[in-house]
Amino acid sequence: MKLFNIFRRSLFLKVFTLSSIISIALIYFLGSNLYVRISNGILDEKIAASLSEAESAIQYADYRFIIANLNPSTDMGLLVDEVVRSTNLSAKDSGREIAFINSNGKIIRNIPVISTSNFLEPDSIPSTFRAQVQNKSEIQWTRTQLRYVSGEILDGMVIGQKITIPRVGKYEMYVLFGFDGQQRTIDLIGRSMWGTGFLLIALIMITASVVLRQVIKPVKQAAEIAEQLTSGDLLKRMEVTGQDEVARLGTAFNEMADTLERQIRRLENLSRVQQRFVSDVSHELRTPLTTIRMAADVIHASRENFDPVISRSSELLLAQIERFENLLSELLEVSRFDAEVAVLSLDRVDIVALVRRSIDDLGFALREKESEIRIDTEEESILIDADPRRVERIMRNLLGNAIDHAEDKPIDVSIRANESAVSIGVRDYGVGLSPQHINRVFDRFWRADPSRSRIRGGTGLGLSIAREDAQLHGGEIRVWGELGRGSNFILTIPKSQESIHIEPAISELPTDFQLK
Amino acid sequence: MTSVMVVDDDQDLAEMLGIVLNGVGIEVDLVSRGDEAVDVFKNNPPDLVLLDIMLPGLDGIEVCKQIRKQSMRVPIVMLTAKSDTQDIVKGLEAGADDYMVKPFKPSELVARIRTRLRRAGGEISSNLTIGDLAIDIVEHTVTRGGKEIPLTRLEFDLLVALAKEPGRVFTREALLGEVWGYRHSTDTRLVNVHVQRLRAKIEHDSENPTIINTVRGIGYKAGATGPRG
Repeated sequence: MKLFNIFRRSLFLKVFTLSSIISIALIYFLGSNLYVRISNGILDEKIAASLSEAESAIQYADYRFIIANLNPSTDMGLLVDEVVRSTNLSAKDSGREIAFINSNGKIIRNIPVISTSNFLEPDSIPSTFRAQVQNKSEIQWTRTQLRYVSGEILDGMVIGQKITIPRVGKYEMYVLFGFDGQQRTIDLIGRSMWGTGFLLIALIMITASVVLRQVIKPVKQAAEIAEQLTSGDLLKRMEVTGQDEVARLGTAFNEMADTLERQIRRLENLSRVQQRFVSDVSHELRTPLTTIRMAADVIHASRENFDPVISRSSELLLAQIERFENLLSELLEVSRFDAEVAVLSLDRVDIVALVRRSIDDLGFALREKESEIRIDTEEESILIDADPRRVERIMRNLLGNAIDHAEDKPIDVSIRANESAVSIGVRDYGVGLSPQHINRVFDRFWRADPSRSRIRGGTGLGLSIAREDAQLHGGEIRVWGELGRGSNFILTIPKSQESIHIEPAISELPTDFQLK
Repeated sequence: MTSVMVVDDDQDLAEMLGIVLNGVGIEVDLVSRGDEAVDVFKNNPPDLVLLDIMLPGLDGIEVCKQIRKQSMRVPIVMLTAKSDTQDIVKGLEAGADDYMVKPFKPSELVARIRTRLRRAGGEISSNLTIGDLAIDIVEHTVTRGGKEIPLTRLEFDLLVALAKEPGRVFTREALLGEVWGYRHSTDTRLVNVHVQRLRAKIEHDSENPTIINTVRGIGYKAGATGPRG
């Protein structure tokens, strides 16, 4: 498995192994084909030569027996012996062996049933072949092994024909040849072919690896530099030498990197300008707003001295300044998210205590409403890594939203934790949300029912900011809702910022709806 | 009469601050440039400084450092239009005791100024000891082996709050209420930065504190005395 992975990840190994396997297979196929052809050719030639040699030897023996028969005093036994011995060169030395076998298996006169030259074992001639010779009048041949009394064994062939020795009887004469010399030649050819094959494969592998390195080097370099570019090192470029396709790759790659760098720098600059603008607007707007606020406060404080119209006006002025302040700070927060400059200020936070505190802080908002907030937690303390200001703001927004829409019915807040995350559910039983509302509930300045008045003077940015705050933690907010049945918001944030994958500990579908 | 130096380049805001503070019986000295502020402070030291961060001449953080060189005691409250973390933490590290983000409610500003001018440990008359430190509530001094350790008023208040009840674990929120007078705040940066500054002055080794201990995930407690430590 590990090997397979290494193989899969290296282009060099992949191509090199593949080309090696193909060249080995090709060379093996061609080599063995050639070897078979050559060795067959050599043997075929030997067989043809042996056949004609055997034929003449048999004819010559036949002729001698006929001549000898003219002289009644000739000892046929001696003649057979002489013919057998006439093979002064053994098959072991590229010569031939001769054998006479009485077809009836009888000893006649002084001639043995079987006489062979050079201590050749009679079983060198297979019995099936003997039967073949006995049945046919023409000359016959087959491949066999030549066995000697000394134990030597030789690959070779046997050629045989029926022969009649006058005054004695029917015999079979066999001429045997060894393929020893041919085998040696064939072995030599085989060995040199193996050698050549190995050499060729080695050469192909070396060539392949050199060529591959040449081609892969720039590819590898391109990959490494692309990785460095990705990780933010915008100044990295490929080295370009020559004018070939590889050089073109390098040039094109570098041009791409140049364009990329320009674009990123431009965007970075744009984002810096944007961020700077937001920061300046913040400062420029806040300072006069502070003065206005204080002036309004001074007027408001002495409103009893004015006539009712001015007194009421001062109240409205102060309320709207407050609303304006909230809107301004939320707008700035949103633009900070948009510019991606919002950062977490992490701390070890007890989320249960934080939720309780958020609910206590709502005292003012709750007093105007009748909703009761019920907390349900399994643990009294759950410590997580989080930005307390942001989490508190999320809770403020979720709770405020619930109070606004609860229609004085109770609100259930539940806290659950699993291994990786903490989930906080805020459930109300009020107006609820339709499926279309659920998709838009986090949109900026969106209102479910435009005709409904703003009770708490919400800015319309609260839920949008809440979701951005959750996402900044690597968390999320899920929503469930049904018209007339209330809604359920589930905030899930990771326990530790090292958690990569988190699972909500509460389902957004309320328990009283899960059974349906 | 209590005097407050207001350093802000916005004339109208400064004047308005003057009106509000005069209204509650605080005398106000208005300064509009950072470099002037340091000189004015030298010649006529006020009871408290309200300091804007963005200032012409010398920026607020630098002014804060200069004033701290001259006086450990005077409380400094930064006024900032930016609620971004960096500026605030920089200001606190430069020696500011507290900060207010514009726009703020006048009543809140007055409450904050009063808290900073209040004397710590008012209900305690006896002296306190924590570790090898002796705290003199009346004299407002902290000494180790007879040698005084200079602390800002806020650092003194923080130390007294912890030393009053050694071994009790204070959450950061509780300290924010006790020392800074916040009722609802989770801005734990204030506590964290000041505990670091205090440790740097009173601990033998601020990396391994023995006088102010961190209780991970909860807050701080004073003293390694007894088995609870």
